[in-house]
Formats: sequence, structure tokens, C-alpha cells
Amino acid sequence: MGGLRTAGDLVARMQMTRKMRIKDAKAYVAEKLKVSSADLSNEHVMREVREELDIGIITSVPGCAKGIEAKARIADLLGIEINSVKRLKNKISF
Amino acid sequence: MKKYLTRMGDGERIEMTVDELKQDFELGTKDAADRGKISPLTQDELDYLLEIFTNPNKIVSVEPGNEVPLTHDIGTLRLMGDQGNSGVGIPLSRVQGIQVHERAFGGDTMELGHIDYSFKPVKPVIAMEQQEMENALLSTIVPLFYGAMPNLGLYYSPDGPFGNPSDLLPMGKIQEAREAQEGAVEHATRDMIYICEKLYDVGCDGINFDTTGAAGDADMKATLHAVEYLKANTNLAIEVGMAGEFVLGMHGGLEYDGVRLAGLYPHQQVKLVEKAGADIFGPVVNTNTSKSMAWNLARAVTFIKACVEVANIPIHVNMGMGVGGSPVFETPPLDSVTRASKAMVEVAKVDGL
Amino acid sequence: MSKQELLEQAAQSVVDADRDATVEVAKRAIAEGIDPVEMINDGYSVGMSRVGDLFDRGEMFLPELIVASDAMVAAINVLEEAMPVKNQSKKLGTVVLGTIEGDVHDIGKGIVATMLRVYGFEVFDLGRDVPIKTFVEKAKEVGADIVGSSALMTTTQVGQKALEAALKKAGLRDKVKTMVGGAVVTQRWADKIGSNLYAENASEAVLKLKEMFS
Repeated sequence: MGGLRTAGDLVARMQMTRKMRIKDAKAYVAEKLKVSSADLSNEHVMREVREELDIGIITSVPGCAKGIEAKARIADLLGIEINSVKRLKNKISF
Repeated sequence: MKKYLTRMGDGERIEMTVDELKQDFELGTKDAADRGKISPLTQDELDYLLEIFTNPNKIVSVEPGNEVPLTHDIGTLRLMGDQGNSGVGIPLSRVQGIQVHERAFGGDTMELGHIDYSFKPVKPVIAMEQQEMENALLSTIVPLFYGAMPNLGLYYSPDGPFGNPSDLLPMGKIQEAREAQEGAVEHATRDMIYICEKLYDVGCDGINFDTTGAAGDADMKATLHAVEYLKANTNLAIEVGMAGEFVLGMHGGLEYDGVRLAGLYPHQQVKLVEKAGADIFGPVVNTNTSKSMAWNLARAVTFIKACVEVANIPIHVNMGMGVGGSPVFETPPLDSVTRASKAMVEVAKVDGL
Repeated sequence: MSKQELLEQAAQSVVDADRDATVEVAKRAIAEGIDPVEMINDGYSVGMSRVGDLFDRGEMFLPELIVASDAMVAAINVLEEAMPVKNQSKKLGTVVLGTIEGDVHDIGKGIVATMLRVYGFEVFDLGRDVPIKTFVEKAKEVGADIVGSSALMTTTQVGQKALEAALKKAGLRDKVKTMVGGAVVTQRWADKIGSNLYAENASEAVLKLKEMFS
């Protein structure tokens, strides 16, 4: 679907965490991102959306969320639990 | 009469007329319907397959908006592997391999896998796998699976503690062969659970049980038991990918949830995979090298469509060398792979590849 | 009971993998004076063919296939005793069979070996991961008529070509027929490397070899 170029990782996460079929997974992510389902695979739209939401982009841009920083924001945005993010939070809570 | 370029199941380039293509589509879908006791493709679907095959372009794609996400198997071995298999032998670390998939290839998901790609050899090096997973999780964004094969073959002699059914059966030692497989189920289930829990501890997103059933019905039984336990006790996402279109009856009598495993086709397999609690199912349809791609793809789409229709979880059909209508050839031709992928998404209506 | 009914019972008893029934039908056929060869060819063999088809479709499984083969052999043994010596099924040929070095897939090859034995071939099954020189040495040792090799992967398939060359180098190629099979193997590949026979599955291997050696 294009991964970080589009919203492929986000749609995959909904399939993995909520067993959503493709149509439902796309509709769920589209609603959270406030775009149409068709635009989830539109690089022109998704580049801007990902940058604005700071959820990770495919090219290397200084200041943009990287790695687990982006995943922490994705977990909040999609309302899902991401195991590595949960682990990080446990590590940094005193 | 105009002829169209297509392939045989071994990848050889051939030309077929529209009538020849139509005939092979019909024979292929009929074969699947007959074996699986499922519905053949409709005339509209067969017509759409013809449209895909007669498209004059070398590669084809789905219509915009129909894109689906990809999950993987063999992890980063396709980049680093140099064992004479499908790897291209680039000396990268596994974390680098994952990053290349995420940032250069635009992968929707990725997975980490051991060089042997079977669960059993991971056990003694689990700490290494955990730390590799930790490093990868810190520096990547896409969902990360850990992928491995249940591969019950490693629990039989000479690699494991049980007698080898492939040796015992030809000697007529059927009871011994069955007991060996039942013993292997217990050991493999225990090992898979141990490994997956360790990976869950470090934050792994999911587990990909790849080529399930490769060693027969015992292989599948062990996998389903492991999945059931993991879904009840962890927050791991689980994908179960199959080895073949029907579960090979090496034992013949093994059951899961009261259903005999041997001989199950994709639309029956998915119900048990769901019952065990898995999140994604990866069915397989094998390619026959002596038949045309038209026959193979129509057949594969028929099986997968039936599976998609009864499923309640996402279906990521196995596509690539020798499966999903693609030729059995290590450098799968692009014209074949793209046509097969388009048909799976737009005719079989899969949720991913 | 008519001959036709007995033939059908013979076939069905193999499909049912019922050793007692196959033997019982064989005894009854002898008592009723039916030609044992006809019983084998038009009764039990038909059943074995159905078994092969059911296995291929995932409707019958490996242990059942083994029991069915065993049941058929038991019936053939009974029938052979009743045959005049000249009619007793003679060995159709000597087969050396194995999976090419580097390849450990031998379920299909094992089924071919079983089926060939049932049909009267003497089979030397070398197993899996077999070095080329072992095929050649065994073929020489037992005076093989057929050397069969199996490969499931394109990386091991090339071993079948090497086997052709090794047999030629050992001066055996004109004395044996070669047979190739395995998931990646095709008729085109057999033609390309100069193999005498390609079979898509175990039933076809038996059929083609029987035709070649009858």
C-alpha cells in the first residue's frame, strides 16, 4: 500500500490489532486522519498529513518524529495499544 | 487469431488466444470448485480475468483506492540470504534490512527472522533475538512481526527426539509414526510459546507463523495450540500463513476443536485459525508447473475467494514463487506477479498480500 | 457373484484400505475361477488408482495410503499363488530412486517408491539428500533399468542435469532410462536435460513406467 509513503502502516495496524477487514480498516484510519479512504494511498495527500500529525514520514527530515517517537503518536492517534510504546512508557515512568 | 503473451506455471513464456485463455480459466476454476467443493468463479469474474490477461502492458496494477497492505515472510533474509535460495546476499544487519524495507521499499509492515527461519533453533539464541527486536522497535515505525516456521520436521530424527514419520510410514509403522507426531506437537507448542512470550516481553507487535502445515497436520495442530495460548495471554497480533492449499495428512487423525485437520482447504482452514484467535490468515494455493498461468490463477482465485467470503478476519493471501497463481520460479516474472496480485485483490477481494 | 461385482469389490477394498477384505475377495475370485491377472489389473489396480486420486485431492492421507498399498500387496500375494508359473507377475524392472543432494523433500518420492513396489518393480530407495555419485554407484551395483530423481527446489533441480551427465560419464546412460519428478520439474525440463520420462505424480509415474516396461 506504500507504507510510510502513504498510510499502509496505519491500515495494517488496524488489521493486526482489531482484526479489521480492509474496508473497515481504511474507513477507521481515514476518519482518524480526516481524509477519504481513497486518499490513504495518495502520496500527495498523505505526505502532508503525516508531517502535520508528526507520525513519521518516509524521507529523512530533521525534527520529524522518528522510530518509537512516531509510534507513540500513532498509538494515541489511532486509539490502539502498541506493545513497544507501552514498554517505553513503563520504562520512563517512575 | 490474436495471441497474448502469458506464462506456464514454471515461468516459460507462451502465447495463448482468447479462446485458449477462456478455456483454461474455466478448467482452473472448475478444478478448484471440484476439489474444495466450493463455487466456481462467475462469468463476470472470468471476464475480468480475461481483461487482466489481455492488457497489453507488461505490468498491471489495481485501480487507485484498491491498494492493500503487505505482510511478509522470510524477514530480511531476502536481502541478506546467501544460501542459494531467494536471498540476494547483501551484507546488511537485520535492523538495517528492516529499515531498508520501511524507508526504501515503502513496506507497510516488516518482520524480523532468524537465519534458519524455524522456531526451534531460536530457543538457544532467544536473548539475541530479543535484543535485535528491541533495537529494531526503537528505530522503526511500521508494525514489526517476528516470523518463523513451526517446522515440526526439526523434532524428528536426525534433528529431534522423535522418530521420523517419513521413515516410519514406509516401514508400515503407522502407530509409531502417529505417536512421534503427537509428541512433536507438544514439544513444538511449548517451544513456540516460550519464544513468542520472550519477544512479547520486549515489545514485539506480532508473530507470523509462516508455512504452517509444512510437516503435515501435526504442524498445524501445534501452531493452533500456540496461537490459542498466545492470544489468551499476550497482546501479540498473530498471522498464520499456510504451507500448501490443503493440510497434508501425515498423521491423518489429528483434530483441533473437534475438526480433523488433514485435508482442509483454505475456506475450512480459516475457521479454525479464527477459532484459535489469530488476527490475520495467509492462505496458500500451489502452482502447477505443467499448467498455464491462466489455469493456475483462475484456480487460485477460486479457492481464495471462497476463503475471503467465509472469513471474519483479514486475509493476506500468499503471493510469490509457486503460490497464488505465480510461476514456480525464483525470479518471478513481473507480468505474472502483477496480474496475479491484481486478480487476488479485485476478484478474490483479499484484505492484503 | 458376477465377475464385474468381484472386480468392483476388489477395487473398493483397496480404497477402504481393508486388508481382510482384499484377501477375502482374492480368495473368492480364485474359487470362482476368475483370471488372477484380470483381478489385479481391472480390480485392485483400479482401486489403487482411485486411492492415488483421493490422496492427490487431500481426501485420503499418508497412513491410509500405506495401509491401502499393504492391503493390495496382500491380495496380490494370494492371487499369485494361484497363477500358473508362467503367468506369475514377474519383476517389471529395477528402479533406483532418490531425492537430489541438498533437497530433503521426500514425501512424494516415497509415495512413488511405494506405488512402484506395489506394481511389481524392484525399488532401491536411496532416500533424500542423495549425492549424484550415490545414484550412479547404486545403479551400477544393482543393474538398474531406471534411475529416478526428485527435486522440489529450482536450486536442486540442476542436480538432475548433473545426474544425466554423471550416468553418461560412467557409461551407464545407454543402459538405463531416467525419470524425473518433483514440484518444480516439468516435461519441458525433462526434455531439456534429456531425461526419458517425466511424471507429474506417483500414479502417472507408475502408468508411464508400466507402459515402458510391459
